[in-house]
Amino acid sequence: MGNGDDQPRYEISQVAYIKLVLHALKHRTSAVNGVLLGRPSSSDGSLTEISDAVPLFHSNLGLLPNLEISLILIEEHYGGKGLSVVGYFHANERYDDSELSGVARNIGDHIYRDFPNAPILLLDNKKFEALEKGKDRSPVMQLYTRNASKNWKLSPDGGSRLILKEPSANVVLMDYISSEKWRDIVDFDDHLDDISKDWVNPDLFK
Amino acid sequence: MVTKTEGTQLDDLENQVDNGGGGAWEYLCLVRKLKVRRSEKVLKHGLALLNDPKKRSSLGHDEWTLYEQVAVAAMDSQSLDVAKDCVKVLRKQFPESKRVGKLEGLLLEAKGSWAEAEKAYSSFLEENPFDQVVHKRRIAVAKAMGNMSTAIELLSKYLDTFMADHDAWRELAEIYITLQMYKQAAFCYEELLLSQPTNALYHLAYADVLYTIGGLENLQSARKYYSSTISLTGGKNRRALFGLCLCSSAIAQLSKGRNKEDKDGSELQSLAAAALQKDYKERAPEKLPLLTAALKSLKVSS
Repeated sequence: MGNGDDQPRYEISQVAYIKLVLHALKHRTSAVNGVLLGRPSSSDGSLTEISDAVPLFHSNLGLLPNLEISLILIEEHYGGKGLSVVGYFHANERYDDSELSGVARNIGDHIYRDFPNAPILLLDNKKFEALEKGKDRSPVMQLYTRNASKNWKLSPDGGSRLILKEPSANVVLMDYISSEKWRDIVDFDDHLDDISKDWVNPDLFK
Repeated sequence: MVTKTEGTQLDDLENQVDNGGGGAWEYLCLVRKLKVRRSEKVLKHGLALLNDPKKRSSLGHDEWTLYEQVAVAAMDSQSLDVAKDCVKVLRKQFPESKRVGKLEGLLLEAKGSWAEAEKAYSSFLEENPFDQVVHKRRIAVAKAMGNMSTAIELLSKYLDTFMADHDAWRELAEIYITLQMYKQAAFCYEELLLSQPTNALYHLAYADVLYTIGGLENLQSARKYYSSTISLTGGKNRRALFGLCLCSSAIAQLSKGRNKEDKDGSELQSLAAAALQKDYKERAPEKLPLLTAALKSLKVSS
């Protein structure tokens, strides 16, 4: 922290973090994605605070219409709270696939247009699996940021540029996993199938 | 694909069994009939049945079907020891069986022994080149290994022979979409539409792909297919209603100055918007202001 360079850094809240991982767990046989909501920090110019997340889809992530509608509705909802879409989350279909797909990059590009500094977070399956055995306090996600030549690059020291706001977030996550909380999470796909299901997930952690 | 009624029936039965209300065998039969993937539950309740000697013997010949079902569920839930035991029992009962051989291949897949699984399946196909299940397992192995181009190649060859396999066409379309090969995905949906022209889901999927490819002609086609989805589903398909609004908005932007286009478009758009608003008012009223604002931003009037 404060090592002099103004590389963008990201702080992700427990709420956002857990929602995204639970969503991936609910649909473990598919790729899933979500958007990150937040704002730039008022005190630290290079820090983006990610305070919430909305899980989007668990099928046909590469199709535009549902993505466009979801972004319009999400921006409308969170705009009223002073938050905007500040990043993108993606989890691959296969356990040993750690590449950032074309679909993820394209959606990342789209979000980057409105929020330069937007990161892509990719679920790190191996790190996630190791969570059960260790006491790792860093997020089980890889951080990708866009460089000057418009390419998404993996941040090698993602551990220091992407931090969990609440240090015990992984402990809470493991708790929720053992109580199968992932059954309750609602994404945009679920909402489109049944609009009484709320993609804001207001009661998830109550 | 499961209908809403079937889905509710299955969920109700599952809840009943989960809460000790009995009906495990009916549940397992329904899962088999509907071909849904509920491996954890199947494993739990199936294994309970198998481990109870009285219940097991009352199944008669169905006992072996249950072993098979539990074996597959165990593999899907990574309980490989259970799977191995079930397959062993079946192999003992049916020593020459090819069906058990396929289960053994599946077990190799579950263990991640891709090369061995591929070898087993290839030799199956040498004896019987028309075994659809084994062909599809080979494609699944390629997919699991991340060899998408091999998976596409095998799947395309499979479809040359088994062109009536709708699930395979859908699988191919979905693989193409993951790889952003939208024109190829569109071709798959065109095949599906030809053989099942009244299946609303194919109309919807085709529209989504056309919209994604973009361009005025494709947007106009997409709008036609969203419309046909709406008419086939009696106006109940929300995704199609949204799709219609998006299309009309995109077309209006691309064809500024062509008055005729706008007129046709805006009427359809208003109707779709009104239908959506009515739906939200009834079932998600707290989201209605959001929807209204969103529709406004798409320049829809209702």
